[in-house]
Amino acid sequence: MLRRRDPNVVGQAYGFQAMTPIRPGEEDALRAYLEGLYDDDRPSPLAKLERTHIARWVIITDFVNDRAWGQRRAEHLELPYLVFTSNFDGDLDSYLDELCSKLATEAAEVWGRCVGCPVQAEGAALKAYLKHNQVDCGLFFTPYGDATVPVVKDALAQREQMIAFATDSQGLDPAALQAAFVREFGG
Amino acid sequence: MIAITVFSTIRPLRMQLKLPVVGDVVLPIPGRLFLPILFAVTAARPKLTETLRELSFIHFARWSLIRRLPYNGPPQRKRRFRYAHMYFESNFNGGWEEYIDAFSHILTDGMTAFWGSSFGFPKPLPTAPFKTYIQRNETEASHYYCAYPEATTTMVLRALELDGRLAPLRGRAAQMDPEAFAAAYERLLTDVQGCL
Repeated sequence: MLRRRDPNVVGQAYGFQAMTPIRPGEEDALRAYLEGLYDDDRPSPLAKLERTHIARWVIITDFVNDRAWGQRRAEHLELPYLVFTSNFDGDLDSYLDELCSKLATEAAEVWGRCVGCPVQAEGAALKAYLKHNQVDCGLFFTPYGDATVPVVKDALAQREQMIAFATDSQGLDPAALQAAFVREFGG
Repeated sequence: MIAITVFSTIRPLRMQLKLPVVGDVVLPIPGRLFLPILFAVTAARPKLTETLRELSFIHFARWSLIRRLPYNGPPQRKRRFRYAHMYFESNFNGGWEEYIDAFSHILTDGMTAFWGSSFGFPKPLPTAPFKTYIQRNETEASHYYCAYPEATTTMVLRALELDGRLAPLRGRAAQMDPEAFAAAYERLLTDVQGCL
């Protein structure tokens, strides 16, 4: 039997997207809260989700309409929407479980300002809300979908280590080179 | 790293394509029908995204087609949109201008296929009107996170390749004769020069 490919998956990477309507009057406060999460002294709360490669929150206020483009009838969003996208490792269910537990404080400030969000914006109720508002990818692309966040980070660190080693080890005799290599990279 | 988020509205009955030999053609095909086919074919045939891989500046990108949004109760209205809307986001390294330039010059046909059914899409070339179009349809992220913000796509790909090539030597380095190790190390350095 033919199995339909999941459009949100490339390799082991999953591309999640949820669009939730923002409650009237909450847009400015939500924007201020999200922008306030940028702080040099503390990491993004999304860093708590260690399987996350890249994620974002975007507020869409309306569609762009222009009669000069031949669009005869304008189309508007009746409410601004919050778009949350995340590119992460592994399956959606366990990722949302982590998100709804580790990000409970922030979730109340973020999705708590959206229409239909559970009063307690955490746990199973928040997970169900996010899944309900999921928008499937049409096309999801990444050139390294098989590599998890720890694999990418370790590989980047190892590359730096190798660059330094290649420079520092120049001129060593074979025995000293081997000993230095084993010290540096194991073996 | 730079984030780009673009929403465009799909024309009900107009598909602009750039075909080999024929050149630019406009067909009366609804984009909301054509785009899912284009997405499926592109996903199923990795060869079609080869140029995107070779350009090596995109970490993650997605295209979504939105015709309706899940209903969450009032004051949200239950509705199906009059037009389909395309959401595009990309996470890339380099500057915004260089990114759009590369897209326009190298992926001209692909860009036309993906955005050719969007209202206002001016063709990828010349780049000035195209950049204006993107700017009008773009929304800045309110919060953006990357686990390895200093790394370019090329750095990630090179690091992963290096890891694969280094692993065998790491595994047997301690057991080797020093002369044999030195020779293997020299060979490795030559092989992985492009990864460093």
